[in-house]
Amino acid sequence: MRRPNPFLFALYRLLLRFYPSRLRLRYQDEMLQSVRDACAERRGRAPRFWLRLFADLLTSSIKEHLLMIRDQAVARPVFFHALILGLILTMMGGAAAVAFQQLLRRGADEPQIQMADDYAAGLASGQMPSDVIPRPSAIVLTPQVVERGGQDRSIDPLIQVVGGVDIGRSLQPFAVVYDDSGKPIFFNGVLDQAVPTPPQGVFNYLRSHSRDKFTWQPRRGVRIAAVARRVDGPHPGFVLVGRSLTLVEEQEGLLYHATFIGWFVLVGLLIAGAALLSRVQSSALTPG
Amino acid sequence: MIKAQQVEVHLPLTPAVFAILLALAGGEKHGYAIMKEAALPVGGCISLGPGTLYGTLDRLIRDSLVEETGLTDDVRRRYYRITEFGQRVLAAETSRLAILVRTARARADRGRDRLGERTGGAGV
Repeated sequence: MRRPNPFLFALYRLLLRFYPSRLRLRYQDEMLQSVRDACAERRGRAPRFWLRLFADLLTSSIKEHLLMIRDQAVARPVFFHALILGLILTMMGGAAAVAFQQLLRRGADEPQIQMADDYAAGLASGQMPSDVIPRPSAIVLTPQVVERGGQDRSIDPLIQVVGGVDIGRSLQPFAVVYDDSGKPIFFNGVLDQAVPTPPQGVFNYLRSHSRDKFTWQPRRGVRIAAVARRVDGPHPGFVLVGRSLTLVEEQEGLLYHATFIGWFVLVGLLIAGAALLSRVQSSALTPG
Repeated sequence: MIKAQQVEVHLPLTPAVFAILLALAGGEKHGYAIMKEAALPVGGCISLGPGTLYGTLDRLIRDSLVEETGLTDDVRRRYYRITEFGQRVLAAETSRLAILVRTARARADRGRDRLGERTGGAGV
């Protein structure tokens, strides 16, 4: 009499856990005994025999679980319909929240797109940056000669912020013009006393595309909705117009809060309604 | 009348259900014996694994087509038998299949006759 392979038999016993628990508790011993009996009388090849057994266990487990769900849906239709409705509500709420978030985020690019187009067109026609972009009256770039002993002299720019666009705090749009190598040459906004420069990849992208829209985080806590454009013409380069996303992020936070509270209330009402209806149905079916 | 309606509800039977009822119609059997008989040509050559067999048996017991005998020669081997209602369902399904077989045979014969006439006319 052939005995089952101990490893495969143990594996079968382990995989029986996927079988619905009600059936497993009732029939597990009989199922394992049937496997032992089948092994004892097996005529074909072992791999094929075990493959059939495992395939049968897998397909029957899936089928029995589906049938149990169907039976529960028939036995408790109110809860089943409430569950379906809850799933639909969750999906619709999630989709609506994502759609609104996208609208908000795209809306945050709106003024910058037009401004970047106008500035790029002006610069491409040969105008000076100071004539195209609102003059950075509050930001002064002063060349400063630095003596480093002997003949060594260099010129360092000194930026003085007097009250212009502080990118870290202001919600106003700002613009920066970069030369063809990506070096800033004109700006009306600074962050921490410096002109922010996006990653070189942005300029590389703009060499083959006319415009790029992206969310830029020049430092922790500062996120910017930025639109960059390539500038053609006599002085090729790039122009970047950005605006802080602080306000949009606050709106997004409110949106997610409102969506979650709405979903929570609706699902709560749904559960309460289903419980009430189920109770009314049960009492109506109870004789007397 | 009510019973007749209940019989109709179970038709048509799946091959697995038909094989199990057919095996039990021959006498009380435990699970593995049902599997063995179903695999034979007289049982329908149905390959029933333990997962399929016991899930189906559970539904048949729930629907009162099959019942446990209460007898056992081993704690791990319970015996099952077909109920009177199960026999009626099996008989109804057998009648239904017999009509299908008769119809299929008749049509196959007619088809063969027509084919014979056509090939005969072509001078083969």
